[in-house]
Amino acid sequence: MARRKRTEAPEEDEPALDISSLIDVTFLLLIYFIVTTTLQKKETDLNMNLPGKAPVETQLDIPPMFIKLNNAGAVYVGTGAAEQLMDSDINVRDLPNLKSQLQLYKDASAATQSTPLVQVYVEDEARQQRVIDVINALAATGIKSITFTDLVK
Amino acid sequence: MAKSAKLRSVQADGGEECKLDLSPMIDMVFLLLIFFLVSATLIVVKIDNKVTPADASASEIAKDGNGRIVVNVREGGIFTDLNGKVLSGEDDIKEWVRLEKAKVDLLGKTPKLHLRGDKEAIFADSRKAIRAAAAEGVINVVFSVYKVK
Repeated sequence: MARRKRTEAPEEDEPALDISSLIDVTFLLLIYFIVTTTLQKKETDLNMNLPGKAPVETQLDIPPMFIKLNNAGAVYVGTGAAEQLMDSDINVRDLPNLKSQLQLYKDASAATQSTPLVQVYVEDEARQQRVIDVINALAATGIKSITFTDLVK
Repeated sequence: MAKSAKLRSVQADGGEECKLDLSPMIDMVFLLLIFFLVSATLIVVKIDNKVTPADASASEIAKDGNGRIVVNVREGGIFTDLNGKVLSGEDDIKEWVRLEKAKVDLLGKTPKLHLRGDKEAIFADSRKAIRAAAAEGVINVVFSVYKVK
């Protein structure tokens, strides 16, 4: 009996959980995440509604605005003799002249309570970045419905 | 060397081991983990690393990935779908859009073309994708861009 009592003596210590392995695992996970993480630029959306055909059934109060983008990245507004060069420097991405023209057109549409309709013609070799610049100008003005005239057959 | 009386008195009471309190370290590690989990953003669509989208300032943060039919347009006119499979032309794009649109329609969502065009690609290629999608009845187009100030 005396021997039994001696063996029970260590149980009087407070039970303690060894958390060092938990820390090991947590650090391992943390290091894994830090090492495997690649910082990626976040992509955002430029939403556009591209109807296949211009709505010819409804009578428009104001004529649609026509934008032309050529292969060199120059942006024009209007057709034929009324064609006006807006922005030609491809390094000027903000297209300030086009934006002001779009704003005037949008205000005119609002005055006649009609939906602004923009038709865009893009030449084949124009760069995607320049097309996005034009779409960006449209989005900045609040015009979300455009028609690519070269898509309409 | 003889121990001082003070050291002897300290060591006399049971001779307990010196322990490091690890709880603040665990707090910090968990805090870091939670930070990474919270700051991580969900991927809206799987991306093709060979495509570098154009920059735009008036773009919006993608709200959800529902209804998106992804078409990547690489520089040089190579089209790929969401899984990286090369689409050889307008017919392949139409087929891809048709299949994806059927899935989106089943879910009751509005299908939209998620166009990831490389900024150096020519628009004639993007136009092919837009035309193919329009032929299948998808007229909402989301141009994927990088947001700039």
